[in-house]
Amino acid sequence: MTVPTSLLASIPPYVLIAFAALAVLALPRRAGHAVAALATAFTFVQAVLLGDGGTGAHLATTFLGFDVVFFNVDQFSLLMGVVVGFLATAAVLYAYGSEAPTWVTAFALTYVASTVATIYAGDWLTLIFFWELMAVTSTLLVWQHGGEAVRAGYRYALFHATGGTILLAAVVVHFVNAGTFLFSATTGIHPAATVLAAIGIGINCGFIFLHSWLPDTYPRPHVAASVFLSVFTTKTAAYVMYRAFPEGGMWLAYLGGFMAVYGAFFALLQYDPRRLLSYHIQAQLGYMLAGFGLASAVGEFAVVGGFAHLFNNVLYKSLLFMAVGVVVYRTGVEDIREMGGLWRVMPVTFLVYLVGAASITAVPGFNGFISKGMVLDSAHEVHEYVLLLDSGLLWWLLVLGGVGTFMSFIKLGYYVFFHGSATLSPDDATPFQTAGMLLAAGACVFFGVFYTQLIEVMPFTDLILSDEVYFKPYSQSHLTESAALLVAGFAGFFALKRPLGWLAHRMPDIDAVLFPAAFYLGRGSVWGVTELWAAVDRATMALAGATMRTATRPREALTRVGIDTEIRAGIGRSVLFLTLAAGVALFAVLLV
Amino acid sequence: MTDVLLPLAVVVPIVAATLPLALGLRYDRVGWPIAAVGTTAVAGIAAAIAAEVVFNGPFDHALGGFLPPVGIELVADRLSVAVLLLVAAVSVATLAFARVAGPRGNPFYSAYLLLVGGLVGMTLTGDMFNLFVFLEITGLTTYALIASDRSGASAYASLKYLVVGTVGASLYLLGVGYAFLATGTLNMLDLQAQIVAQAGYGDPLVRASYAFIATGLALKIAIFPVHSWQPDAYQRAPDSVTTVVAALVSTTSAYALIRVTYTVFTVDFLAANEGIATALLVVSTVSILAGSALAAMQSNLKRMFAYSSVAQFGMIGAAVALANETALLGGIVHLIGHGIMKFGLFLGIGLLAFGYGSRRMEDLASAARAAPYTSGALAVLGLGLVGIPPSVGFLGKWYIGVGAVDAGLVGGGAVGIAVAAAIFVSTLFTLSYVARLLERFYFAGAGLPGDHGEVPGSGGEDAATDGGDAATAEAGDSPPAKTADGLPAPVEGAPRSSLVPDRVPTAPLLALGLAALATVALGFGGFALAAWFDPFLAEVFA
Repeated sequence: MTVPTSLLASIPPYVLIAFAALAVLALPRRAGHAVAALATAFTFVQAVLLGDGGTGAHLATTFLGFDVVFFNVDQFSLLMGVVVGFLATAAVLYAYGSEAPTWVTAFALTYVASTVATIYAGDWLTLIFFWELMAVTSTLLVWQHGGEAVRAGYRYALFHATGGTILLAAVVVHFVNAGTFLFSATTGIHPAATVLAAIGIGINCGFIFLHSWLPDTYPRPHVAASVFLSVFTTKTAAYVMYRAFPEGGMWLAYLGGFMAVYGAFFALLQYDPRRLLSYHIQAQLGYMLAGFGLASAVGEFAVVGGFAHLFNNVLYKSLLFMAVGVVVYRTGVEDIREMGGLWRVMPVTFLVYLVGAASITAVPGFNGFISKGMVLDSAHEVHEYVLLLDSGLLWWLLVLGGVGTFMSFIKLGYYVFFHGSATLSPDDATPFQTAGMLLAAGACVFFGVFYTQLIEVMPFTDLILSDEVYFKPYSQSHLTESAALLVAGFAGFFALKRPLGWLAHRMPDIDAVLFPAAFYLGRGSVWGVTELWAAVDRATMALAGATMRTATRPREALTRVGIDTEIRAGIGRSVLFLTLAAGVALFAVLLV
Repeated sequence: MTDVLLPLAVVVPIVAATLPLALGLRYDRVGWPIAAVGTTAVAGIAAAIAAEVVFNGPFDHALGGFLPPVGIELVADRLSVAVLLLVAAVSVATLAFARVAGPRGNPFYSAYLLLVGGLVGMTLTGDMFNLFVFLEITGLTTYALIASDRSGASAYASLKYLVVGTVGASLYLLGVGYAFLATGTLNMLDLQAQIVAQAGYGDPLVRASYAFIATGLALKIAIFPVHSWQPDAYQRAPDSVTTVVAALVSTTSAYALIRVTYTVFTVDFLAANEGIATALLVVSTVSILAGSALAAMQSNLKRMFAYSSVAQFGMIGAAVALANETALLGGIVHLIGHGIMKFGLFLGIGLLAFGYGSRRMEDLASAARAAPYTSGALAVLGLGLVGIPPSVGFLGKWYIGVGAVDAGLVGGGAVGIAVAAAIFVSTLFTLSYVARLLERFYFAGAGLPGDHGEVPGSGGEDAATDGGDAATAEAGDSPPAKTADGLPAPVEGAPRSSLVPDRVPTAPLLALGLAALATVALGFGGFALAAWFDPFLAEVFA
């Protein structure tokens, strides 16, 4: 290692990326994207080089009188830095190949910058600042596309503003109780802020019923923007969830289990490819949260499983968005029923899709198989609410989610690439799209085969690879399990194809309730505030009027209440007042 | 020469007062020139006295060669000189207005000069009984002046003031008698020593003496609730009389209160009798609030500013009762500043009434377009009265408020804070009625979108409810005429100036402008005023 780590550790990568965003706007398109790719690649290289030797709280300073750390390097932020930097590079290439407007790339880079800054934050204050900035930049990224994306982006902004505010409240509560913002000073967020933090982060994580922004927003913007969006906000949220709750909790694990089922189920019902993938984000986050949630119950193995899944998910989820994005980009169609037979005309895209689908569905040989296996193994050790096969509810939920994932990707692939004859004959992916996709796909395969490399990137490497922990992904039982899932998925899809099609038109998601509720709540509160203001105004004016009348015609006012008397002091009364005053004064002076 | 300055200041106006009557037997219109010469002479003498005080310090003069404590003494120090200058300046300046606005006739000018003599005497005297004499001279001439336009309403107002004022003066005399009983002397400085030597501050005679004197002067000052003569008197008197009375009569009475309290009874007396100080403070605070509220209720301009005086003198009373250096400085500054501002305000209102026939708030819509200079000066004076810096009104209120807060902090009593709060509330009230005036001047009225000028018939409504006593006098009032533009129309024969569009006489307008200027200029002189009064304050708080 020739570059001294101290020098590396003094360069916050997000600053470079932010400058790259400006460069994209200022320079010609090709040069700008080159700068952008270099900046994101630097993030990746830096994280790799820093490795275990570069950990520590760099750029620690005080801001507004609080101790803050702007570049906190530890095992967790490093792995995030590695994968985000890597994927952002691939996504920039992809954006260049997808004719993304320079504004899209520029906004996307500011979004990446705030994401990286959030990841490397070493205290809650810095974290919440960049967290809010992520919400702003990602909203801008959505809005840039115009059209339908504007309304969806507005809803997206509302969701994230709400979530950000709740998390801000959590951070404030944390500070009041803990007296510091620094991560290093406490274990996770203070217990007093648990609920606020869970909900605030949970909105970004796509908790059930808080998730409707996911399928609402991600299908709308430019295909390149979707690639960026699909990986950063949610995965960063999962990472922050671990920061807040490093000891996990069964509530988190079960929530993850239900998210896996819920997301996979609703994904099955979708016909918009990007919408389908968006529901899978929720499902996949379920696995990660299940892993983090088992931190105490199972141990570091579960945490590593969660992080490995997060790491892999960034790769294959964006890969899938890229592949689907190519199809949308080339055909302009956003309904999979109108596609079909594309594997002949878009072989590269088809192959890439296969890699991504195999990864997300945990086919042996691909990275998803490793990490999902770790999460499932962890869940298998939990024996609460035991159902069949001596396995608990959590395991079954995750397995069910896995089957659903299989089914929906069979569905997606079937409709897009097979499903009747090709009515469309688009070109295949552009060279730079292909380059971006191959980067991500290569990583998927690489980590599936050389899985110890994956564990090397993870925290607790020595523990996982030691003999104490049974970590054999390609053991007989795992392969059997995977095969069973595969068979169940195929059988399930073709058996349930018609009922699912029927259900797809009738099953409302939570947004059927949530959006009208929010709308009427908003309208109601506007009406309420207006009317309340009007009422206050009327009352004030009436009071002022009455005061005016009484004050200017006091005698008339007295007559109205039945006292008809002269209130202006005449001569007699004036003298009376005077003598009384003198009397009182004497009395007071002499007796007091 | 300096030896005769003090008696001259008193004698000149009194002797001059006889001339209009005497020469009037032969010449018709001799009053004004004599008054002008007389008051100008007083002003010159006052200036000479002021110079003497500044260069050689306070000095005195024993009348007729009878040395105090038996003889009567005239004294000039920094406080009395300040009031004396105010008296001289205002009495000269008011004459400019009286010349055009009346009342006419030689007896008026005799009474006017006599009033000036009384006021000068009150200011300069160093003897308690002599103070009563000048108080009576002032009172009697004021009664006469108020009624000098011979209308029924002013006669009633004058009678009311006569009866009530006589009782008040009698109370003062009673107090002086008690003090004399207790000490056997009437000279102020001697009394100061003899009260300690012969009676002590706890002596019932001394206490009763102060109670009577304070009550009597409170009536003359017009502090709530013994103010009831004052609004009528100010409203009904001819405009020029209101100008001089409002600026000087209550002011010299308040000066007398300060003088008696701090020179005769001293701050130690207040400290020894906390009940008296507290009672005075409570009454003053009530006066501040009641006066402000009553002022805000009025629609007649003169009456409005009359009630405003009740509030302002409440502040001065509070400053006296607070008995600390800052508050007393504020009281004195406010005394002078209020005199200047009320002079200007009543003069300006009088000018508008003279030129445009407007006496009520409603009549003044768009007055600033018809009479920009008069309105502008009135606006400046009004804002000064509110206490917008830089103005002398701000300084006075500020020092009183700071003194009140100080007293509250030092004594730990809530009373000081209450006084400060009352001043603040009063400022809001003042703002409300001054803002009403400004709104009339600059924003209301004809030719503007959303015209909220006259409501037909509003004049008649008021007459029906304007109190039974004097309603008849105004029952026939109809709103003044308007020009085609809807601006206030000048009355027939209103003077016309080549310099300004205002249809008002030029000389009083100049005086009004000077008053406005002085209000602002003194506002910059906070340190100078503090330095000016420092010897006096150092003496009484020694």
